[in-house]
Amino acid sequence: MPTDVRLLADIDKVIHEPARLGLTAILSVVESADFLYLQRETGLTKGNLSSHLAKLEEAGYVAIEKTYRGRVPLTLVRLTDAGASAYKAYRARFKKFLERS
Amino acid sequence: MVDIEKIEKRTVQSFYEDGLFEIALGAVFLLLGGYFFAQMTAPKGSTLEDVLSILFVLVIGSSAFLASRILRFFKRRITYPRTGYVTFKKKEPGTRRRIATAVVAGIIGASLAALYSLSPSVKVLLPALNGLLLAIAVLLFANKIGLIRYYLLAAASAVIGFAVTAAGIGDIKGVSLYYGLFGAAGVLSGLATLVVYLRRSPRPAAAGPEGPDAH
Repeated sequence: MPTDVRLLADIDKVIHEPARLGLTAILSVVESADFLYLQRETGLTKGNLSSHLAKLEEAGYVAIEKTYRGRVPLTLVRLTDAGASAYKAYRARFKKFLERS
Repeated sequence: MVDIEKIEKRTVQSFYEDGLFEIALGAVFLLLGGYFFAQMTAPKGSTLEDVLSILFVLVIGSSAFLASRILRFFKRRITYPRTGYVTFKKKEPGTRRRIATAVVAGIIGASLAALYSLSPSVKVLLPALNGLLLAIAVLLFANKIGLIRYYLLAAASAVIGFAVTAAGIGDIKGVSLYYGLFGAAGVLSGLATLVVYLRRSPRPAAAGPEGPDAH
């Protein structure tokens, strides 16, 4: 298998999905963000956002914390250390692939 | 294909889309302008002059702190209910960067002091010099976050500084006028941005609990 294709074959598929990639890219910049912020920034529906966040949480890439702001329930999402490392690795690998192709 | 860099940049820009940061920045410069104006107009040897001298450190030291508190207050009231809650990573500057900043600031300060002692008439140029230095700082910031408004603010800083000098208003009077005008430019730019933001981002209708378990 050519090296550049192998680079793609080994890519993290949890992050590679466009919606999750967008979410991870946003979360890589912020400390934490709530559901409304992520929904507005990604343009995803509530259902889609929930499902993608659940997949990222399952992979251990995001931590979801349920809290309150005053009396309003607030769902805070942040990238875990594992998520930050995976995103960094994905970014580097994909950049390498683009440079070679 | 997803443009990761664009998404990261857009996320950083989202912090500034409500204009509140410019309003806070402008308010700090209005405060500084007001302070220098009060200092200039205070009668020589009066208690007011002494009090203002003592207040200098407090004004400089507390303005950034106050601005950040006020910014957070309005973010909670205006922004978070409309476009969601977000906190950004605080990047502490590294030792090398701190040293470089201190060296640059020292060189600029020493150059200005030397220039001033060699030729006191240089005080006429103080507003222009202030305007230019701040324009460079704002330009670097604008380049980092990629928002056109901040390029305009950088240009405004340089133009205001040179205009005040060209009008022959130098020294502390010119500097206070420059700070006041630049502060007003920041506040106006921020208010205009805020109006656009409020029109584009109405408060979502009261809904049930948000988040993955809400469905």
